[in-house]
Amino acid sequence: MQRTTHRRSLARPVAVSLAAAVVLTATSCAKSEDDAAGGNSSATAAGAEQKVASPAPGSKTCTVEAYGAEKIDLKSATVGFSQSEKEANPFRIAETQSIKDEAKKRGVKLLTANAQSQFSKQISDVQDLLAKGADLLVIAPLNSDGWDPVLQAAAAKKVPIVTIDRKINATACKDYVSFIASDFVEQGKRAADQMIEATGGKGEVAILLGAAGNNVTTERTKGFKDRIAEKAPELKVVFEQTGDFAREKGQQVTEQLIQSNPNIKGIYAENDEMGLGAVAALKGAGKKPGDIKIVTVDGTRNAVQGIVDGWISGVIESNPRFGPLAFQTLDTFTQGEEVAQDIVIEDGAYTKDNAKSDLGKAY
Amino acid sequence: MAELALRTPTLDKDRVLQWLQKYGVYAGVAVLLVVNIAITPHFLSAENFRTQAVQVAPVIIVALGMALVIGTEGVDLSVGAVMALSASVVALYLGYGLLPALLVVALFAAGVGLANGALVAFIGVQPIVATLALMVGGRGLALVLLPQLEDLRNPTLASLGSGDVLGFPYLILVAAVLALIVAFVVRRTTFGRQLLAIGDSRPAAQLAGLPVRRVLIIVYVVSALLAAVAGVLATARLQASDPTSLGNLMELSAITAVVVGGTPLTGGRVNIAGTVAGAVLIQLLTATLIKHDLPPSWTQIAQAVVIVAAVYAARGRGKR
Repeated sequence: MQRTTHRRSLARPVAVSLAAAVVLTATSCAKSEDDAAGGNSSATAAGAEQKVASPAPGSKTCTVEAYGAEKIDLKSATVGFSQSEKEANPFRIAETQSIKDEAKKRGVKLLTANAQSQFSKQISDVQDLLAKGADLLVIAPLNSDGWDPVLQAAAAKKVPIVTIDRKINATACKDYVSFIASDFVEQGKRAADQMIEATGGKGEVAILLGAAGNNVTTERTKGFKDRIAEKAPELKVVFEQTGDFAREKGQQVTEQLIQSNPNIKGIYAENDEMGLGAVAALKGAGKKPGDIKIVTVDGTRNAVQGIVDGWISGVIESNPRFGPLAFQTLDTFTQGEEVAQDIVIEDGAYTKDNAKSDLGKAY
Repeated sequence: MAELALRTPTLDKDRVLQWLQKYGVYAGVAVLLVVNIAITPHFLSAENFRTQAVQVAPVIIVALGMALVIGTEGVDLSVGAVMALSASVVALYLGYGLLPALLVVALFAAGVGLANGALVAFIGVQPIVATLALMVGGRGLALVLLPQLEDLRNPTLASLGSGDVLGFPYLILVAAVLALIVAFVVRRTTFGRQLLAIGDSRPAAQLAGLPVRRVLIIVYVVSALLAAVAGVLATARLQASDPTSLGNLMELSAITAVVVGGTPLTGGRVNIAGTVAGAVLIQLLTATLIKHDLPPSWTQIAQAVVIVAAVYAARGRGKR
């Protein structure tokens, strides 16, 4: 009897432990999705500098008067930059570096903070930046929601905000000035174009999805499928499994894929890392470069090298170098001229034609 | 009389549950194999079995250590972080040659294991809390050492990940040899018996004069070293060091394999063959769902069902 009681009392903490482990690992998983979602902004045709694709004429704009701020000279201003995730992936590294480089180039005083993927830290980071005297803010938001306290604090000090790569759910030209990012649906469409060209528009293809519940995943998938349906109905998507934006997962899923679907002609990976995982799987299975066409999105150096080596057919670039465009927007705005509320970047692409010559531009 | 009438059906149920707990995992593996051979195209091929075995090998290796820790009524949440850490360290020290790099990996892993073991054995911190600290800190350290994924172009390391002996990949051979060693240690050595005695009742083991602290520390060091082996093999297979995502959720896969394999979380008993089968079961389940292109969320739900079934079967034993 006593033994039974003893066992039960022991079982409880263990059960709690297991539950805690589940919660914890789930959290860490979410974090890695965020990291990977870092591949979510855009770049231009294998170019280092971002180019604007929109606004179309007549789209909404914002001015200093409408926003309720004051004209200042950017050169004498202090800019605060709040980065969302630690600089652990090529995208974030390049993004932060670009902001720093542009500030230096323009001789603007820059304050930086990194939220290490914790939203509460990002909120206090931005409040710190305001307290330290930032006149203008550039924010790479971790989340879209929950910004009210920061927006109120910034509004009280009349500090204009530009957000990059992810959007804040708030009113443009009231709570923030402009949002600069790329069009993920468009990236998916252009990846589909590359896939159609590489496969001749016929046969079976697979998609390595990004992390579930992430807008980057949804939009890159939608664009790809829409374009395939529209332009190459004979190309069939027969396999869609998540690779969680991670290389190892991409490798494992591809290994399963090529055995159960030996007829597969192409693989669309929604970021470079999963695409490189697919390459590792194909190498391990004794395939030759080009046996299965791979198209990826991001534009990291390793993936572009993959084109040079013949393993990858095309890479749709996602340019993280927001510095020039963000500062140009702030400059125009603070001089009293109008800027667009939504600035969509034109995305570039790497193919075998430009991969070798543009390898140096990959990040 | 009344007592007897009440007891009879309970006994039958217990018997079923006991059978399930003992053999359910093997039955599950057998069912999945038969179903897949019947309905999955190209399943019955040497390459396919090789793929499944290679993918499951790191999980098995980590689960072996986890089984030992759980046998002492503990749990080791830091195994995934140790995999990431070993990936970072391999990348940093590969320049000095593979063997020196592996030695440094072993040092780092042993350090994590020592820290876990010392917290549990000397300070009396609950295993979940102690290893949680090392789980967070270990991955942090891995990212400090190597902030981002790095490709490794070392032929020796690559051959470790993809080479084979008589058609058996190194990964599978390493996992098999380690499983045999751990099973032998649990069944046939004094250390194994001491470990189980501690898991059964730590106070009793202490009263009996067993070297409780030493055994606990060794168990956590072994768990960390096995995780490091898995981390190195996974890195070798990927030919890249990825401290950001390598080993993510590995602690959960390993615990699942151990529990599904019939090792009770309450300690005092370790089933190594069941643990290996548990890992294989989860691997086959995942492979089945992926090969049939079912939504990824189904994999998680299916795993949850298997875990609940295993825990339900284990409940029968706890009641006795």
